Amino acid sequence: MLFKSVYNEFIKIAAKPRSYLGLAAITLLVGVILLALKADGLSFISFVTASFEQTLTFEGNILNGNLVAFIILQMLIIQIPLLVALVTGDLVSGEAASGTIRMLMTKPISRTNLLLSKFIAGGVYTFCIVLWLGFMAVVVGKFLFGPGDLMVLNSDNLVILQQDDVNWRYVGGFIIAFLALLTVSSLSICLSCFTDNSIGPIVATMSVIILFTIIGTLDVRIFDTVRPYLFTTHMASWRSFFEVPLPVKEISKSVIILFAHNVLLIGISIIKFNRKDITS
Amino acid sequence: MKNIIYFLFLYLIPVFSSAQDGSEIIERLMTRMNRVMDYSVNAKIKSDIPLIKILTVNATIYFKQKDKFRIISKGIAILPKQGFTDITKILREKDTYSSILTGTEIIQNARTEIITILPGADTSDLILAKLWVDASNDLMLKSQITTRSSGTVTAEYKYSTHKEFGLPESMLFTMDVKKFKIPKGLATDINRTSDAESNKPVPKVGTVFIQLNNYVINKGINEDVFLQK
Repeated sequence: MLFKSVYNEFIKIAAKPRSYLGLAAITLLVGVILLALKADGLSFISFVTASFEQTLTFEGNILNGNLVAFIILQMLIIQIPLLVALVTGDLVSGEAASGTIRMLMTKPISRTNLLLSKFIAGGVYTFCIVLWLGFMAVVVGKFLFGPGDLMVLNSDNLVILQQDDVNWRYVGGFIIAFLALLTVSSLSICLSCFTDNSIGPIVATMSVIILFTIIGTLDVRIFDTVRPYLFTTHMASWRSFFEVPLPVKEISKSVIILFAHNVLLIGISIIKFNRKDITS
Repeated sequence: MKNIIYFLFLYLIPVFSSAQDGSEIIERLMTRMNRVMDYSVNAKIKSDIPLIKILTVNATIYFKQKDKFRIISKGIAILPKQGFTDITKILREKDTYSSILTGTEIIQNARTEIITILPGADTSDLILAKLWVDASNDLMLKSQITTRSSGTVTAEYKYSTHKEFGLPESMLFTMDVKKFKIPKGLATDINRTSDAESNKPVPKVGTVFIQLNNYVINKGINEDVFLQK
């Protein structure tokens, strides 16, 4: 029954035009970045190498598919939560607003299972978004710019990873990115359980992400105790896969915290949804 | 008495004058180097630059007289800006510098003559160059170039099987590296807050060690190799 419900929920997501907005936005954004880098990527690189120009030279293809994919991921990882929340934010409230949730409740499925099926369908959609982003950034990026060593551009250091050592890092990075976006999906579905209109949870999700991001980036001591537990702090953890040596402890901590957020948000949602008085 | 003074004058003046001038040693050095019309060699490049993490990179180096030079590596390699061909470029233009013997030093168990090279024009990029030359074998064991554009780069050379051509089997470059900051707009860790690690003092000297093997000398190299793609 749960599988059938998940299937139904996914069909509902697939039938909404806004679900394709995310895929179209990724295609357009990545396309624009790829085009810009193809046209004038070398001047972008010269800004980086200018810091060393006096004493060092870099030999080899710096502007390659791996670097391009990395730049794209870094640029878009801030926008992707919006694309996810846009669809998952009204999975419950949208039904409440349109009045279909009442009919849905008449089916022989528990409220918990119904809600879980929405979480799973939201997760599948999030996975599709991450997969498409990965395809556009890594596969298309490598196709256009060719393979090569990855130069990870940190503000005060550089890490150069050999191309044979990069693919597994992308896989790891995408898994963490998926877990982070799944948290956004869970948050928006959770907020969706508290309201009966579609826009509210989407805006609230983005507001929470912006607020947490500001708290996370502000170098103020009072936030030091909170910062490690904010899910937004760990949304950028995919980058840890591109560090040498691999910070296994940090990655594990991020996975645990993101996972805990998901469990907590799903738990709150189940409690709220089971107690919800469906009047629409 | 007059004959003795005459003899001493004739004999010792050239000796003293050649002791002050390094051009003869440089000439011998260049003669040896000029035996190589072209070469290709496999290189293993190990860079140890502060704040840059990079593994050893394999590359192929191509050289053709008089100044064609190219490094082709599968990945990204970091090299000193000055080093490979700069010394020979400087030495080839005899009219642009003066060379003085400024002492001796033992390097790699060999007695080396220290030749200081001063540019003729005060507008040239070169400020000062020093060569440590094993005069008995006509081999340059160490060099130090100070230029306005690239600061000071020191190179140490070790020779084995191709010493008759003056081609080293390894080179160790040492150069000053300034602490760098990549502009925030380009860095990919913009959300990262500063930590204790990033505020640590960093060494100011970087090294690049290049191990060279499988020299192919004077077998001809296609011009296409030197075309940048």
